[in-house]
Amino acid sequence: MNDWALRLPPVLLAAVLVHTALAPNLRVFGVSADVLLLLSIAAGVAAGPERGAAVGFTCGVLADCFLLTPFGLSALVFAVVGYGVGVFQTGVLHSSWWIPAITAAVASAVGVVGYVLLGIVVGQDQLFSLRVVEVAGVLSVFHALLAPPAVRLMRWAVADTAPSGLLPR
Amino acid sequence: MTLVFLVLLSITLITLDFRGDSGVIDTIRDGATDALAPVRDLASDIFSPVGDAFSGITGYGDVRAENARLRARIDELEGQALQGEASRRELAEALRLLGVSFIGDIPSVAARVVGAPVSNFAQTIELDVGLEDGVDVDMAVISGDGLVGRIVQVSSRRAIVQLITDPGSSVGVRLTRSDELAIAEGEGANRLLSVGFVEIGVEVRTRELAVTSGLNDSVFPAGIPVGRVTEATSQPGELQQDVSLAPLADLTRLRFVKVLLHQPERVRATTTSTIPVEPPEGEEVPAP
Repeated sequence: MNDWALRLPPVLLAAVLVHTALAPNLRVFGVSADVLLLLSIAAGVAAGPERGAAVGFTCGVLADCFLLTPFGLSALVFAVVGYGVGVFQTGVLHSSWWIPAITAAVASAVGVVGYVLLGIVVGQDQLFSLRVVEVAGVLSVFHALLAPPAVRLMRWAVADTAPSGLLPR
Repeated sequence: MTLVFLVLLSITLITLDFRGDSGVIDTIRDGATDALAPVRDLASDIFSPVGDAFSGITGYGDVRAENARLRARIDELEGQALQGEASRRELAEALRLLGVSFIGDIPSVAARVVGAPVSNFAQTIELDVGLEDGVDVDMAVISGDGLVGRIVQVSSRRAIVQLITDPGSSVGVRLTRSDELAIAEGEGANRLLSVGFVEIGVEVRTRELAVTSGLNDSVFPAGIPVGRVTEATSQPGELQQDVSLAPLADLTRLRFVKVLLHQPERVRATTTSTIPVEPPEGEEVPAP
């Protein structure tokens, strides 16, 4: 079994706990960080499109367990976002610390808008309101700030070329 | 290739859930909720000081002001409670005569709020009661102040409540002074409820109380306080007024609530009429 297959489950379990027990109590303008979306983005940055999509799908399924929207909606959006970030990241000559932050901000906004649009397609009309702009804006800032540690965590958890511990490369 | 497979798998899951004819999705949701419940409780206890500190920093001024307001409100309510008891008995008696269930007659179970809204769009809370406590879908949830919402998902030991401020929530209400029936719909967190179907010409006053109507197939029993009117306006050419309602229950600081163990008797849609028909005079009705 690959090392990442052993490292990823406890990371995801911890993420679910933070996502459901801590994040909802830390709100700015009524918006809390979406830890599972953030990890999907971070997986795309850290391990490329294929693994970004797989981790995104898994994170989405976990998120759907605690939502009232159709099961699979978050899984679909997170998988596409994780894949898209991975594709983008492989085409970037990176080393700057701010690139993951900007990527996370943009991908978060895309993820929120995609979630709402797909939600409307499957009959979740109540998702459509000006609240989308508020959520996308605040989440982008939240995730941009949290992206550097999240990417380090996912490099440790899912990348084959595992760095030593959680320290930055 | 991986992405195509995952997209197809997601669409399959959505379809299964959307059709509602598969117990697999419900089993997954309920299983995850119940399995993680003890760990999430522990995590919640560990994280709660962090959340409280964050709330304290961002809302210290509001908390002080609210404390003073609540002290004044307690004095006011103690006086009203004495007057309200007599009115409550009269209302209960009248509703009983009409065959409408009243909140005072309905057994309830106390519950602790163990989870804040996980989604940034839906307004929901999680309770530490479930099927094992007699709680089921569509039961009403109240606080000491008024209506909180209704149960929309339940597992063995947990229940999810859709708050009345959720954009998908609608509550049948009766405006107590004008006696007008209307529908109060949620508009999202920290926003007023929007009341529809109030005709032009009906005099609706500010601070008028709205209670659940309990009519027809309503999920909610009659007489539960919902909110007070904050504004009622009408635009030229429109057929109904724009009425806003402020919820009585403070939905942002719920700690304990009550679940009313009452489920509406839903009339199932069938091909035959469900309206009782009087038999012709002299004709006997066969026993069911």
